[in-house]
Amino acid sequence: MGGKVTCTLGEVKQRADFIIYWGGNPAECHPRHFTKYTIMQKSKFLPRGRKDRTMVLVDIRETKSAKAADIFLRIRPGKDFELITILRALIKGHPVGDDEIAETGLSREVIEDLISRMKGAKFGCLFFGMGLSMTRGKHMNSAALLYLTAEMNAFTKFVAMPMRGHGNVTGADVIMRWQTGFPFGISFNRGYPRYNPGEFSTVDVLVRGDCDAAFIIGADPGATMPQPAIDHLARIPTIVLDPHVTHTSRLARVHITTAPQVIAAPGTAYRMDELPMPLKPALKSPYPTDEEVVRRINEAIAKKPFWLPDGNQPQIVATK
Amino acid sequence: MSLQVIENATCTFCGCVCDDIELHHDEFRIHKAHHACVLGTAWFLNHTAEKKYPVALVDGREATLDEAIEAAATYLHEADMPLVYGMSNTTCEAQKECVALADQLGGLLDSHTSL
Repeated sequence: MGGKVTCTLGEVKQRADFIIYWGGNPAECHPRHFTKYTIMQKSKFLPRGRKDRTMVLVDIRETKSAKAADIFLRIRPGKDFELITILRALIKGHPVGDDEIAETGLSREVIEDLISRMKGAKFGCLFFGMGLSMTRGKHMNSAALLYLTAEMNAFTKFVAMPMRGHGNVTGADVIMRWQTGFPFGISFNRGYPRYNPGEFSTVDVLVRGDCDAAFIIGADPGATMPQPAIDHLARIPTIVLDPHVTHTSRLARVHITTAPQVIAAPGTAYRMDELPMPLKPALKSPYPTDEEVVRRINEAIAKKPFWLPDGNQPQIVATK
Repeated sequence: MSLQVIENATCTFCGCVCDDIELHHDEFRIHKAHHACVLGTAWFLNHTAEKKYPVALVDGREATLDEAIEAAATYLHEADMPLVYGMSNTTCEAQKECVALADQLGGLLDSHTSL
């Protein structure tokens, strides 16, 4: 597994004549996605704009985004993986039984129509949201969808892009990949980065009670995580950096107020297509920036003995 | 008083990261955010430069920034397995410092993505 066939939103805006949103509600969660990048824009290759593009929405309920869609496919909850697998089979001409198709909540005609449209497109783009990645199957759903996208390239140009939310989460992935080689769920406890989601991912670590201190920045797990994880955060020394006093701050030993990014703190943020954007802060905050505070904590820790028993950083020893 | 204008400002409320926002501000509050959507407008207009919260809290009591940084460094240094988590509502520059922090501590590093 691995690899994502993707592109930038600029290419989608210029070229994508077939757009699928899977498990996302851009009308309410990414309000300018339609108008700025996907269906409304006119371009050199799609001069009639909306008329030149087809938009399909795949979801388990009829959200506000369904109004903007040409085709709305309402599937049964938790059947995303099954539908993707059926599509992958039918695209290659493998037979699929009626029972398997009935399980997804769609009819064979609808699925075959979708496939002929996908194959007939000049440039297809699949946007997938949390409705796909946070339901039964989780990352296996995303992986199957990325496989489907890669396999569609045997017939026509097809790309996939996750609908990232929450400001700069994309940046966090990119920075961790750049610095450690892995996007999340990393442990440095052997002195080098290791990647193992499920073992090193936060919810699992907290629920098992594996960590004995927590440093939380730009997040509020006290409001979003399961109760056993929150209980553990309250048990251990927790340090919070946030522009507001949050739920997590109330159970933390240390809270430091920082300047809100974009509004008062300069820097860079990544768009969902992994393009870095410079920030232009408008206000002068009375608080320090996140960057400054974390750097000062780093400097304060660097003055203390290193965490190995002898208190020294490991040295590279020349061998002959 | 006339408002200052920032053209092509960036909004990071959602993953779209629109970079065509026109902000009208008086250095204390943003009054208008042209081109921004409902979510972005609400986000820009709800933040001010006022000092709403204490600079830092240590064990629930107000503290100076230096005290809080020293307390944070001590807690993290004393821990055997510290966790560095979050990083979604912050800049890439701060995220890079967080990676350095987890590396220096020999701890765990994770973001919202794993949820």
